[in-house]
Amino acid sequence: MFEELKEEGMQKLAESGFLEKLEKLRKAGMEKISETSLPQDLQTVRANLLGRKGEVTEILKSVGQAAPELRKVLGQAANEVKEILTQAIEQRNEELINRASCFEGDADITLPGTDFTVGGLHPITQMCYDLNDAFRSLGFEVFSEPEITSELYAFDNLNFAPEHPARESMDTYWLKGHDEERGAGRLCLRPHLTGASVRYLQKHGAPARFVYPGRVYRNETTDARHERAFFQYEALIVDKDFSFASGKVLVKTILDKIFGRDVEVRMRVGFFPFVEPGFEIDMRCLVCGGEGCKVCKHVGWIEVMPGGTPHPNVLKAAGLDPAVWSGFYINIGLDRLVMMRYGVDDVRLFHSADLRFLSQFK
Amino acid sequence: MKLSLNWIKKYVDLPENLTMEKLSYDLTMCTVEVEDATDLSESLGGLVVGKIITVEPHPDADKLRICTVDVGDAAPSTIVCGGINLAPGQLVVVAKPGAMVRWHGAGDPIEIKPAKLRGIMSFGMICSSGEIGLEELFPTSREAEIMDITFLDAVPGTPVADALGLDDIILEIDNKSLTNRPDLWGHYGMARELAAIYDRKLRPLETEVIPGKFGDLEIVIEDPERCPRYAAVTFKNIKNVPSPFGLKSMIWRVGMRPINLPVDITNYVMLATGQPTHGFDKNHIKGGIHVRTAKEGEILELLDGTILDLTTSDLVIADEKNPVALAGIMGGKLDSILEDTTEIILEIANFSAMGVRRTAQRFDIRTEASSRFEKSVDPQRVDGAIAVALNMFKEYFPGSEVTGFVDSYPMPLKNSEVDVPLSFLSRRLGKELTAEEVTRILGNLGFKTEERDGMLHVTAPSWRSTGDISLPDDILEEVARLMGYENFDFIPPKVILEKPINQRDLDMERAIREYLAFRCGMQEIFTYPWIEDEYIEASCADTGEMLCLSTPPSPEESRLRSTLVPGMIKAVFTNLRYFESFRIFELTQVFADKDYHSINDPSEKLPWMARHLCGAFVGEDPRLLFRDAKGVLEHMHRAVHMEPLGFARISKPLWADDKLWLNVTYNGEPIGCIGLLSLRSARKAGIKRSMTVICEIDVEKLVPLASRQNRYSRLPEYPCVDFDLSVVFDEKVTWADIYETAVKVELVKEVRFIDEYRGPQVGEGKKSVSFRTRIGSDEGTLTSEKIDAVMKQMIKKMSKKFGGEVRGA
Repeated sequence: MFEELKEEGMQKLAESGFLEKLEKLRKAGMEKISETSLPQDLQTVRANLLGRKGEVTEILKSVGQAAPELRKVLGQAANEVKEILTQAIEQRNEELINRASCFEGDADITLPGTDFTVGGLHPITQMCYDLNDAFRSLGFEVFSEPEITSELYAFDNLNFAPEHPARESMDTYWLKGHDEERGAGRLCLRPHLTGASVRYLQKHGAPARFVYPGRVYRNETTDARHERAFFQYEALIVDKDFSFASGKVLVKTILDKIFGRDVEVRMRVGFFPFVEPGFEIDMRCLVCGGEGCKVCKHVGWIEVMPGGTPHPNVLKAAGLDPAVWSGFYINIGLDRLVMMRYGVDDVRLFHSADLRFLSQFK
Repeated sequence: MKLSLNWIKKYVDLPENLTMEKLSYDLTMCTVEVEDATDLSESLGGLVVGKIITVEPHPDADKLRICTVDVGDAAPSTIVCGGINLAPGQLVVVAKPGAMVRWHGAGDPIEIKPAKLRGIMSFGMICSSGEIGLEELFPTSREAEIMDITFLDAVPGTPVADALGLDDIILEIDNKSLTNRPDLWGHYGMARELAAIYDRKLRPLETEVIPGKFGDLEIVIEDPERCPRYAAVTFKNIKNVPSPFGLKSMIWRVGMRPINLPVDITNYVMLATGQPTHGFDKNHIKGGIHVRTAKEGEILELLDGTILDLTTSDLVIADEKNPVALAGIMGGKLDSILEDTTEIILEIANFSAMGVRRTAQRFDIRTEASSRFEKSVDPQRVDGAIAVALNMFKEYFPGSEVTGFVDSYPMPLKNSEVDVPLSFLSRRLGKELTAEEVTRILGNLGFKTEERDGMLHVTAPSWRSTGDISLPDDILEEVARLMGYENFDFIPPKVILEKPINQRDLDMERAIREYLAFRCGMQEIFTYPWIEDEYIEASCADTGEMLCLSTPPSPEESRLRSTLVPGMIKAVFTNLRYFESFRIFELTQVFADKDYHSINDPSEKLPWMARHLCGAFVGEDPRLLFRDAKGVLEHMHRAVHMEPLGFARISKPLWADDKLWLNVTYNGEPIGCIGLLSLRSARKAGIKRSMTVICEIDVEKLVPLASRQNRYSRLPEYPCVDFDLSVVFDEKVTWADIYETAVKVELVKEVRFIDEYRGPQVGEGKKSVSFRTRIGSDEGTLTSEKIDAVMKQMIKKMSKKFGGEVRGA
């Protein structure tokens, strides 16, 4: 590199000690760079070496004062050192960033996650929506009727005998001011959902497949297992010559959805005014698998819902010819299902509005 | 209802090897639910008959005796006993060492061990009736009386259950499942059903020639609707004595208490046939039997001592003057079978279900008789009951004499007849049936079937003709259940694909619930539709239009909600016991006594009903809570796909604080409100510490959009710039005015509220409002000079229009 310098030049160069200084600077710089352990300290090192008043910058500036024949050579040498240091800083910077943290100090990762306000749907609403989803996937419509209905729809249409005890005020919440009336003029809080089936069929005719969940009311003494206001889920298929044995699809849709697995069911004799034949539907006890245990009272089966073929008088009330149309109802108590699902032991909690209870179902 | 299997076996031979489990299962599947089957001998397990040989006093205890007892073992046992009626030769009940005994006939068996009693070893125990659950069969008159069974003449060592004839199985039937089967409320009826299930022959009920009318008793039925038949037999030479053990035990094992022989016979007749009967002291009945409604002011003292004030809607049995029994429910105390009764009138009558139920309900009395009549007993059954009764009296009172008989039957039963096409049965059951098959099945149940050209003419037996059988479908059920429901194959229903189900209203309701729960952190609650007066008062709700219940859950809960606010206030109050701040909502129906309309049958007029949504926001800072609630409503339309809600002051809800309230509008129409619960309302509801903001809207007024409605807007070509300002205003200046002015400043794209501050730093009557302004141009990137100019312009406007001063400027 120094070939172009004449002998005299070499002499001057040696005398100035410039190269030794440069070499010292390089060495010291490299040392500092490798000693630095934080990215921000490296910035200081850079400024001290290469910044406007940095040592390398200063030495570069001093090249101008050297003998003219030396300037080129000195400039080259200084720039070379600058280049080396710059690269070293960059390399060191990358190394440091690769292993550095974004922040100083330690952190406790066992602290709980940030709490955010979550609300929730009522557990009965959740169950109802689960079942709606299942039935809609089978092509069922979801229907609802007003909670106030009349004796016509609550009882007369459904083949309840005129003297049926459910019509008494001991059982049904009749509205004041209609006590003297009968039939369409006598209003009540609906005692069950079944009346809605006739409303739907009157409007939409048959064939039909629909569910109609909702709250119903009974004049009862309340305790942990009895409520005055509770929820039912009812489903109905009406079709031509529908065999009662096909009604099992409704039962299985509900039970499989709730329990998430195949549940064995059986249908046995049951009596309800609006069905003929009527059934009590039992499921195989899931606790003991049918062996018999406390939960199923040692019979291996648990009564889960009533069901049956719509009574001809009900179909007639709905404007359908019972000689042509047939079908299948099932009705299940949502409160009881939710109690089974979560092990809730008091039905009155559902209407308590108690957040200590409700917030458990988020 | 309890049934004795031994009793049933008197009438039908059940298949051999039929286990109790199988019988319970078959009966449950085909007919009625068997809740339990108990082996009576199990409750007496481990107990044997012992014969006392000697009785000696105990040297160290006055109250104890030392007995040697033959218990059937090679040598007699020594038993120490405190019984006061012990005597040599007596037969007693002994629990031997090693025996497992259920004390009081219940619970887990406990092992008997030899024990030292005051120094003397006792090998077993001599039992009292109470200790083994038989106190009703063997009542004791004194304390420490042991059970004396000397009358049995049994060999020592015999199991007590065998010796007492209690080797029986008791079936417990769920009464609810018997509701529509009045024919099964007796052993004979159940035997008939089992005979049909197992295709066995049913033995006839006792037959006894029923005499024609004779004797001096007259019967007048004034209300044949409520008493279709009344038969009576009179006897003389009857005695009020205890029943022999066999009869007592039959009655006792199915849950009735033995009383005396004449009464036990009447109960036996009922348990056998299902037909209630009642005995009167003939000498107390003057001038014949009158079946009539009670007269105003009449009083009747029942057998159990209850004194009734009768009304004109109660049917009674009376003599020429006074009521002597409440028809079909209970006899009167003064004129039924008494200590000194020697002549009786035995009533075997039929009463209509409705009348008995009404009266029983009014007086809140339930008896074995009323619970049977309430199910509609057929009047034909009287015949069988008379026969059984005549037989029983003849057997148990050999010296008695029938002195008269009368049977008034003004409303004879008509057997139900049904025509059923055979093809209907095959089609509905999904199985080909023959007329012979159907005739055989129905025949087992007592139905008569005639076939002509594929049409079956079915006549129901009298015991199934009280309402249970009237349609082809009823016949279908009879055939199907006896064939066994399990024997029909599952046929999946066919799916008809027409069009997708689109239920926007339903989807909207769900979207609202899920939005509030999952995006707004609110918990859904349910409250009752009847609301408490206290909270109606707190919410200042107008009771004028509220519907009322005839028989409310309590006097304070007679009104049905026309608004969800009272229930919401109550829910806030109850939760404040455990939480300081929370958000809850309810979406459900409300009602009002107005706008009556028909939705199906034109004769049915239903009152106004609407779904309301009500929310409560509870916490500390009323202004923040109000903004929380408003924010929830403002953003709802995006999640729910409807037009946005608007806000305006139109009319203040009565429960709201004067300063913080707004009406909520939809397409300009008011549909609800939002407000801070006033101090007065909070106090009335007992809410002391926290603040409550409530909102309520009428969900019926919301119209779901057919699809999503928001549009895409093009991304800005040049960057926008934000700047924040905090400006001190007079407290009266509203954000709406500030906003209106701010958005009109040149290049302003958006103005957003950040927060407001009141306090010492800004001075009284002032507030500082912070907001963020976004500016931008469609023509190019803004220069810093331009940005400064806009900011200055904004500050100038705020100052000029509202006297606002920039904080920190």
